[in-house]
Amino acid sequence: MTSHRLEGVIASAILYGSVAAVLIFFYVPIFTLILFSFSESRFLSFPIEGFSIKWYFALFASREFWPALGNSAILAGASTTIATILGTAGAIAWMRWRFRFQRSFQVISFAPLLFPQLLLGVAMLLWFSVLGGWFDFSPALWTAIIGHVVYITPFALIIIAVQVHGFDDTLEDAARDAGATNGQVFREITLPLIWPGVMSAAIFAFLLSWGNFYVTYSLAGTARTLPTFVFSGIAVGSSPVYPALATVTFVPALLLLGLADWFRRRAAKRQLGGWKDA
Amino acid sequence: MRITQKSWTDPGLLLATVPLAAIMAFFFLVPLVMTALLSFQGTQYYRLIWTWSSDTWVDVFTHWHYWSIIIRTLTMALICVMLCILISLPVAYAMVHRVRTLENHITILIVFAFLTDAVLKTFGWVLFLDRTGVMNGALDVLGFGAKSTDILFTPTATMLGMVYNLLPYTIFCIYLSMKRIDRDLMLAAYDAGASRLRTFWEVTLPLARPGIFAGGILVFVLALGVFLEPKVMGGGTSPMAAELIRQTFETRVNWPLGAALTLVVITIGTATLAVAGAVAARAMRARPEAAEGTE
Repeated sequence: MTSHRLEGVIASAILYGSVAAVLIFFYVPIFTLILFSFSESRFLSFPIEGFSIKWYFALFASREFWPALGNSAILAGASTTIATILGTAGAIAWMRWRFRFQRSFQVISFAPLLFPQLLLGVAMLLWFSVLGGWFDFSPALWTAIIGHVVYITPFALIIIAVQVHGFDDTLEDAARDAGATNGQVFREITLPLIWPGVMSAAIFAFLLSWGNFYVTYSLAGTARTLPTFVFSGIAVGSSPVYPALATVTFVPALLLLGLADWFRRRAAKRQLGGWKDA
Repeated sequence: MRITQKSWTDPGLLLATVPLAAIMAFFFLVPLVMTALLSFQGTQYYRLIWTWSSDTWVDVFTHWHYWSIIIRTLTMALICVMLCILISLPVAYAMVHRVRTLENHITILIVFAFLTDAVLKTFGWVLFLDRTGVMNGALDVLGFGAKSTDILFTPTATMLGMVYNLLPYTIFCIYLSMKRIDRDLMLAAYDAGASRLRTFWEVTLPLARPGIFAGGILVFVLALGVFLEPKVMGGGTSPMAAELIRQTFETRVNWPLGAALTLVVITIGTATLAVAGAVAARAMRARPEAAEGTE
């Protein structure tokens, strides 16, 4: 019996230890950035000499920061909207219907997820260059939007598909019995029921697009977003401005994720048939 | 949920599927075909010229340099897969069986780290691992002597970054497959006198195999295309395939060669996925109960 207990103690130590270790591992670079953003010195070495928030002012005064922020917002906003709409439609077709060519549809709508992003970006850049030669344009923010849509739609589709999976169709039947048209059923019943899944997919998609480097780097032409702004900045020389930028973007991201989780919980409640109290 | 059979000409179905399929076809499939076509063209004075020749492919297959980089990429990807699976197993198991009350919070913490801008995270690692960075500073304070580690700009640092960025994929795949395992099976094993380790080895691990497999494949394919980690954390001293491809396009402006190298990496990735898919399909036919969990 003692050996069993000893085994239990060791197992617990390994299991709890591994979770703690992985969480620390995930947050090492994040906390390092937060720490250095408050550094007084312009050299990023440890231990930090003095505390200051001057790098935040330096960041906000930077001429390149605001356009990059604007581009990131446009890019993430547009691609999230498109990807969420396409993902919702796709998820319903994946989960609720059976049709000819469904297998091909599933493969083609999911494949970009299984693709190294940089290669996806490079292949699309080649295509846009060829198209650009024909129709006389060069890669800009809108080509990056298309790239992001291709990359993030599969993620949105999966998240919404999970929500569609637990769908209860009695309400739809009831609405149809009461004489609602297909469009009305979708607007009044289906969409509200899967809405939490749609919203959490949208938040996930937004953050994926916001933090995306590879696709933007290949496709945005001369337009800079925050990730490519940081990349070209640290290639020239590091400065505490970038840790400050990181810290500034962490806060809204964390709030958005909290919101996504709230939507997810609400979704779980609806699936359990808690429609009455929702 | 009821599943409806639809005719493929049904207007609702077309409305739901055609826009997505069209975007993916036009901006994902066509670029791949385009890449394949471009690899058969030539360059002159940094400009692409349309000539159908296989010179580029001869070039690719006769230069050991390209293949040494591709082999290095494959080796790094395989090591990364092993490390990710080994780390994810206890974490996923603990998330399912031990820290259940904190499960949601841990999930959110991992997702947040996963969704944070990869450039910033990689830069954070540089600041941490630097000779004058946080790790050496902390080790100095603890009495290990100044600047005791120096792993930044080595392949070890690249591997650390790859595992860091890809680990969430294996954790979630394995977590989801372990969550589906019926607890009664484990309790039955305990009742029959099996130790925890033996139960894990003979019940949990085989039943979690689909998740381990899926996570491993995903990490492998994505690891083939990493660029930030070898460049920023590895210092560009031992480049991997993605960096080679970028350089071919940007510095050498040799599009056909870049397209051919892209195709080589894509082929390796796709072949891996195809083999994995075939193996998974076979395993599913052989042991349907394992593939579907034990519901």
